[in-house]
Amino acid sequence: MIWENIKLALKSMASSKMRTSLSLLGIVIGVASVIAILTLGQSATKSITQAIVEGGLEMVTIFPIRTEKASKEFTEDFGDRLMSNVDNIKTVLPVNSNNAIIRFGQNSTNATVSGVLSSYAEILDYESSEGSFFSLADNMAARQVVVLGSEVAKELFPDGNALGQFISIFRNQAKSYQVIGIMKEKDASFNLQFNSSVYIPYNTYAQRFIKPTIVGSYVVRVAEGADALEVSDAITEYLDATIGTDAYRLFSPASLADMAKQITGTFSSFLAAIAAISLLVGGIGIMNIMLVSVAERTREIGVRKALGASPWTIMGQFITEAIVLTITGGIIGIGLGTLLSYAVANIVGWSLHVSYASFLFAAGFSTLVGVFFGWYPAMKASKLDPIEALNYE
Amino acid sequence: MGEFIVKALDGVTLTINRGDFTAITGPSGSGKSTMMNLIGCLDTPTDGIISIDGEETLGMSEAELAYIRNQKVGFVFQQFNLLGRINALENVMTPLLYSGIGVKQRKERAKVALERVGLADRMRHRPNELSGGQKQRVAIARALVNNPSILLADEPTGALDTNTGLQIMELFEELNAEGRTVVVVTHNLEIAMKAKRQIKVLDGKLEA
Repeated sequence: MIWENIKLALKSMASSKMRTSLSLLGIVIGVASVIAILTLGQSATKSITQAIVEGGLEMVTIFPIRTEKASKEFTEDFGDRLMSNVDNIKTVLPVNSNNAIIRFGQNSTNATVSGVLSSYAEILDYESSEGSFFSLADNMAARQVVVLGSEVAKELFPDGNALGQFISIFRNQAKSYQVIGIMKEKDASFNLQFNSSVYIPYNTYAQRFIKPTIVGSYVVRVAEGADALEVSDAITEYLDATIGTDAYRLFSPASLADMAKQITGTFSSFLAAIAAISLLVGGIGIMNIMLVSVAERTREIGVRKALGASPWTIMGQFITEAIVLTITGGIIGIGLGTLLSYAVANIVGWSLHVSYASFLFAAGFSTLVGVFFGWYPAMKASKLDPIEALNYE
Repeated sequence: MGEFIVKALDGVTLTINRGDFTAITGPSGSGKSTMMNLIGCLDTPTDGIISIDGEETLGMSEAELAYIRNQKVGFVFQQFNLLGRINALENVMTPLLYSGIGVKQRKERAKVALERVGLADRMRHRPNELSGGQKQRVAIARALVNNPSILLADEPTGALDTNTGLQIMELFEELNAEGRTVVVVTHNLEIAMKAKRQIKVLDGKLEA
């Protein structure tokens, strides 16, 4: 019976193609915009979080704020204290940074000078292309050696041959450092501009470059397999309890990604809800066309009743017709919405993330619209008096 | 039982026996349409009893009446009332669909019925591709297909030319000869004379 009803519905739709397509338009536009918004919303979230994740999800950076309390707490042994109080931390690296002018011969450039431990490069998966990062001994002896980021190396030594040369770093007075390594290019992790930095040993920085009043920042590496979001939350909790909320800033790609996901998620749900209103309008269009269809086919309904169709059978026939209409609209809308998302994603340069859940949602919703708005016309049809219907001109 | 007892239209009692070929005649407004609607279970009387094969329709729900129409009554209309979007075979299959019979059997039985009315070669044609006489034959096949207790024809020749009308009446005679109960409602006396029994309705009363 259901199959017969579907065939009847398709025949009735085919018999007035223009009218059918016009009445489908509302549903098609509604479903297409819901699909496009959900798909594009997901794609946007994916590309935004991907950009953040590339910066290293496993890093959390703590920036102390120069207050009296903070300078007492953020000391050389802060890393050890943090590690003994918060689980799943692999290492805590203190970093001091400042900008300076760097010169070799006639070439000079502005760069970030960072004083870091010798383990810094290895822990951040930062590899050298020539020479090597400085050693523990270099740091212990506070040697005046320097490792160049790839951009700085290009600026100062356009012809290469940097290893072993002495460059000047200006800060109040010029001091010369011997180049012992050049690093490979590495994408910036939102607060770490690798390529435009130069690295000197931590102790060299403190003793010979600028004596810091407080450690500039701590780079925390999360243990492998641990959830970075949980670790960064645990760090926040620990710092708030011990040092205070206003004594530091914390940057965590994991929590940023989470925030971005929430914002884009809320935003696209909101837009989808607005688009769903057009589905409602489409549903009213379906109801209108179904009422017309019932009126036009009064005689047919009379004949069917005379042949033995019960009220429920007639009801089923017209409900099915409404559902077939809206599902057809839904399928066209899904296709159109996906096409639209594909086009927009292509233009904006996001990688398209097709949401199959939204397909199911759209199909389910348009069926519901069909049942809801088909109900009244179908009931009207089922209640027609067979004698009046048979004599209807 | 095998009887149709109609007690209607101002204290009228009418019994139609199985195998009868009855014509109900009368001018328009005489009440013969009401009688037809009552016999066909499209309507129920405000007072009185209608019994078909021993089943009384009084107090039946819409769905129960629909079931009786489907199982016991085969309608033939003046304007044929074929469904325009489907072909002859599918039209004839429709009552069987409402009986809940599977598609294979529906098709077989509809073919047999169409062959019976001489339209084996027109099964795939839509109503608008058929002549008036052919349309009425499809309608008769549709009325026959579920083996009803009664064939109920309302002015079956009213939309046809005289010759074709007579052919249709011949078909009814044949069907009656095969044992089917036929009731024809008409105002055309010449047509009515083809039946074995004539009943006149006038002002809601029967005349002998």
